[in-house]
Amino acid sequence: MSLSGKRAAIIGIGTVRVGRYPEKQESELAMEVIRAALNDAQISVKQIEGLFTTPDLQNNIGLQTNLLCEYLRISPRSMAEISCGAIAGGLTLKYAADEIQSGRIKIALCYGAVREGSINWFKNLGQGQGKGWTMIEPTALQPYAANGLIWAYALSARRYMHETGATEEDFALAAVRNRQNAAGNPDAAFTKPITVEDVLHSRCLSSPIKLLDAVASRDGAAAVIVASEELARDISPHPIYLQGWGLHHDPSCVIPTDGCSKSISHFRATQEAAREAFEKTGIKPDDVDVAEIYAPFSSHELIVPEDIGWFQSGEMVQAIRNGETEISGRIPINTGGGLISRGHPWAATPLYETAQIVRQLRGTAGAMQVRGAKVGLMHCEGGMMNNGLIMIFGRD
Amino acid sequence: MTGKPNFLLPTNLESPGAVQFWQGLQTGKFLAPRCLSCGELFFPPRSHCPECLEDSFVWEELSGKGVLYSWTELFFTQPEFDTPFFLGLIDLAEGIGRITARISKDKAEELYIGMPLLIKVLQHGDGMAIYYAEPARAKDAGL
Repeated sequence: MSLSGKRAAIIGIGTVRVGRYPEKQESELAMEVIRAALNDAQISVKQIEGLFTTPDLQNNIGLQTNLLCEYLRISPRSMAEISCGAIAGGLTLKYAADEIQSGRIKIALCYGAVREGSINWFKNLGQGQGKGWTMIEPTALQPYAANGLIWAYALSARRYMHETGATEEDFALAAVRNRQNAAGNPDAAFTKPITVEDVLHSRCLSSPIKLLDAVASRDGAAAVIVASEELARDISPHPIYLQGWGLHHDPSCVIPTDGCSKSISHFRATQEAAREAFEKTGIKPDDVDVAEIYAPFSSHELIVPEDIGWFQSGEMVQAIRNGETEISGRIPINTGGGLISRGHPWAATPLYETAQIVRQLRGTAGAMQVRGAKVGLMHCEGGMMNNGLIMIFGRD
Repeated sequence: MTGKPNFLLPTNLESPGAVQFWQGLQTGKFLAPRCLSCGELFFPPRSHCPECLEDSFVWEELSGKGVLYSWTELFFTQPEFDTPFFLGLIDLAEGIGRITARISKDKAEELYIGMPLLIKVLQHGDGMAIYYAEPARAKDAGL
């Protein structure tokens, strides 16, 4: 809620199916989802007053808004290309909502487009040369773990198993649930049914994480149109309101550099973001009808729901066995297939998550519809689970 | 450690705040900086003290004692590595933070969270040295 008490609302969503688009530029994918979102919102591109996007790492020049304003022939009064790891797509929504609630603009377009060219950047995460910035602390990590981050999530997963008694079968159950849900999501890249046995026998990447426990990086793009509450009431048949959000950045993550007391089986950034979002909105965890969470590995499908507050530490082990996070369960999670089965075009992922929440709250989620869903939660993280954003959406 | 070297040369070998660490390893010492301004002992080394932001240090030798906090058997990593191998996340006995290091063990059954370890130095030649972790008796790891 803003000082004026007015909310921002989502009035349009546009996505492409996550997959491989080697023939397309990121800007082409962006144009496709922007056109779809404008059609969904039933507005003209000329009404766009704000433009917020995620990094374009294929070209890596930080000039996407310049390009897109030309392509769209628009003159926004507020714009930014926001970079903050994989939380970026969520932050575009936050800053669009801030600008709308401040009264400067009434309508904003947020989008993220990712092609696999970006993966070259990801591979280089640990190998920033010389004195450059790097995410992988060279002295404490780099000799053995320079590339990618699977090992970091694997260390976290192993520790969670040690503390809670979770097994690899429990993690596999979450991967199977995601795959079942993906079957009903036209955006999902991976829809072929899998079993717990399939997951357990898939190739080991970094124990206990195996291939079918893991996210796959893919191409994709998603756009979301945000409007002021007044405008949304006027022009949208089904506005979905941003009731509030929480945001937190923790100093260190899997490799604590500030002592040996930090947990890697739970993440303070997510816990604090959730606390702020629930406090600001007055909504309680059990009021949430449906959620999309950011879990790049199946182990974190157990960890994150505990951090958000639906379960105490370790309770997700029984909950996943009992189906409590399935469509018909106590808190349906990742009804779009999650990162693992929808696929993970990293910067666009929070916008895909938001699009799925919007479908659920509009009642248009098809076979994966949570009946009567009124309150939806979107979680995303960046870094190595050390920054977190939680948004709570609702319909009137 | 046969076949491929199973480590990458770090990119900060000559960075301020790290060069002393890597030079120390060449003489068999596992060093960490203590801030001359506020007294903070910290790891990994950096150009500025994370507590008070000053940048003058004295280098102290750490005990090398540690305890395994978590571990993984790594199969999927860069092609330079002879896989699989065991990567440990290790609590340093001084309580100042954690380090990841290869553990010189061959079987997953021999690893357990809480196991005592010692940080050892492997001289690689060419003036380069790298650290790894070796299982230790509890009393040798300070437990």
